[in-house]
Amino acid sequence: MDSLNSSEPPVFADVQDAARQLLGWARRTPLLENTILNDTLGFRLIVKPECLQRTGSFKFRGAFNKISRIPEDMRAGGVVAFSSGNHAQGVAAAASLMGMKSTIIMPSDAPKAKIANTKALGGTVVLYDRKTESREEIGERLQKEQGAVLVKPYDEPLIIAGQGTIGLEIAEQVAEIDAKPDAVIVPAGGGGLISGTALAISGTLACPVYSAEPEAYDDHKRSLEAGSRLPVPDGAESICDALLAPIPGELTFSLNSRLLAGGLSVSDDEVLMAMKTAMLSLKIVVEPGGAVALASALTQKIDLRGKTVVVVCSGGNADPEMLSRALSM
Amino acid sequence: MIDINDINKARELLAGQVLHTPTILSPALSNLTGAEVYLKLENQQVTGSFKVRGSYVRMSSLSEAERGAGVIAASAGNHAQGVGYHAQRLGIPATIYMPASTPFTKVARTEALGATVILEGESVAESRILAMQAAEAEGKVFIHPYDDPHVIAGQGTATAELLEDVPDLDVIVVPIGGGGLAAGCCIAAVAHNPALEVVGAQADAYPSMYQAFKGEPPHGRGATIADGIAVKEPGEITTPILKAHMKGVTVVSEADIERAVQVFVDVQRLIVEGSGAVPLAVMLSEPKRFMGRKVGLMVSGGNIDSRLLSSVLMRGLVRDGRLAKLRISLIDMPGALATVAGIIGDKGGNIVDVLHQRMFRDVPVKEADVDIAIETIDADHVREIMAALEAAGFGTRLLSDMR
Repeated sequence: MDSLNSSEPPVFADVQDAARQLLGWARRTPLLENTILNDTLGFRLIVKPECLQRTGSFKFRGAFNKISRIPEDMRAGGVVAFSSGNHAQGVAAAASLMGMKSTIIMPSDAPKAKIANTKALGGTVVLYDRKTESREEIGERLQKEQGAVLVKPYDEPLIIAGQGTIGLEIAEQVAEIDAKPDAVIVPAGGGGLISGTALAISGTLACPVYSAEPEAYDDHKRSLEAGSRLPVPDGAESICDALLAPIPGELTFSLNSRLLAGGLSVSDDEVLMAMKTAMLSLKIVVEPGGAVALASALTQKIDLRGKTVVVVCSGGNADPEMLSRALSM
Repeated sequence: MIDINDINKARELLAGQVLHTPTILSPALSNLTGAEVYLKLENQQVTGSFKVRGSYVRMSSLSEAERGAGVIAASAGNHAQGVGYHAQRLGIPATIYMPASTPFTKVARTEALGATVILEGESVAESRILAMQAAEAEGKVFIHPYDDPHVIAGQGTATAELLEDVPDLDVIVVPIGGGGLAAGCCIAAVAHNPALEVVGAQADAYPSMYQAFKGEPPHGRGATIADGIAVKEPGEITTPILKAHMKGVTVVSEADIERAVQVFVDVQRLIVEGSGAVPLAVMLSEPKRFMGRKVGLMVSGGNIDSRLLSSVLMRGLVRDGRLAKLRISLIDMPGALATVAGIIGDKGGNIVDVLHQRMFRDVPVKEADVDIAIETIDADHVREIMAALEAAGFGTRLLSDMR
């Protein structure tokens, strides 16, 4: 990929290239498992905990892969992103490490903690009114006036390739523990994480990869079944705030429709139970959106008896209130 | 004498029996403390704590006859899990004594590993005496939780792994209960690099090793969030080892430990039990001691009760000023409550609960108190909201604890 703003879908070599770019910057998160839990479940559950990644989610990987490639002469303009969540923090952290400024455009009703976290990572937060202002216009103005580079959350080749480094790590790390996965399950929102991961797995383990989503936001599942991108119905609600993209990304779906074995979906209660299991049995904090793949495995949305499955727990930025709710399940 | 050779032998024995747990660099905790912080994740160990290391080394040293006769231990916590887990795998019958008041979930968890649980004694110390008597009477081997060379060598493997993964640490911080983990840590550390400092820490509710260093009689008592290291009597074997390698023992408060459990969740997204959070509590309470150094924290376990964890998290919100409860005096006129809500909203506070106490409170009939719970950003934000309410003529008092 030569161009910073290529719109061609990435290929396996782009993920390998991203892994080199991230070396020494992103954490190589460990693989976790609990053998006693495995005995209870009747299958081998291996977790890739991206909640232990810098900024508490996988988003740093893609953001750094893009931002660190911005040429010297374009760095003064900084970067801009739209996000109130994990992408905002990933972009702010990556930009700070590269000595660049970042402007994050968030709705004025975004949770205060997320605004504060983004600022703490060095991001400048610009708030807009959802009802009266267009975030795209604000973003375009910043791009024009300051020469800022837009960092999209998922539908961009360098972002997809960056997130895909998770898949390469999984392939290396399962070999270290003599595990041969029968399936990999990955959360899907816009589809960046899963398309990159599936790309990496296709060139390494070559086992089936499934998307996991909240029941109310099962657009990947339905789109995969239909063979074309279908939107989320109006009025859908879920506690999985990290996965509320309205429709699968164009670029990501072009990969996912080819690479995925199918889509799985879970209820909010199943997500909360999975968060509880993550805390009590795996000793990690996983946010609702980060727990959908784990929830799909724990409830065996596909038959896993006697098998080995790897699930990506994509982030851990949950409020204490939500964690308490999960603990009371 | 236990030396590094015993720990190396223990490592060979343990290969494939327990996990070589990950050691991770924590950029977030490094930023917070000004040190380079590495975490040895024994909360990821089989059964959720380091205890399986020592228990395996001890039990694998038993003769065929001893194995056939079975083992006895006393513990309501991690040691019970460690003994139960390996006894089952080695085909050794295990009997675990627990205090009569032990919660059902802890009993069930140990029984699920195939051990027989006997609920006798008022405290773990009493259960231990009963267990040792039973072992004597029934010709079984008592598996001591810390005062045993095999156990100490086994626990030392955790530090050996940490130093293999990060060889150039300046200091390791380790929790002390009976001293098994810490003694193994000292032996592994000094063999690796005599200049490597080992900081041992206890909860101030049970400062028994601290007292042993001072020559005082132990007097630990009461409840502590660090129940895994609530040991009244330091070990006879472990104490001299610690005295030979450590200058002193550090003691941290309950509030510091609770805060460390919360920080692990908030900042590192890890679940760590009270005793496992003691090393971080030391760093947070004495940051200058570690600044600029390369520090390894022995995160010894992650077995924390779900209700306790939940209450730590909610109390943390209150302490940090992210959840505040205000008592506001209203003049009982139409619209006063709406005005108050408006002021809070304008200042960016999110009201989560309102309790209007006009009927039942001892206040003049034309006045009323309202208690309002709000989500806020931090302590300054809470103070800003209170100032705005006062400026508008509403007397305001903070009901929650805030740092």
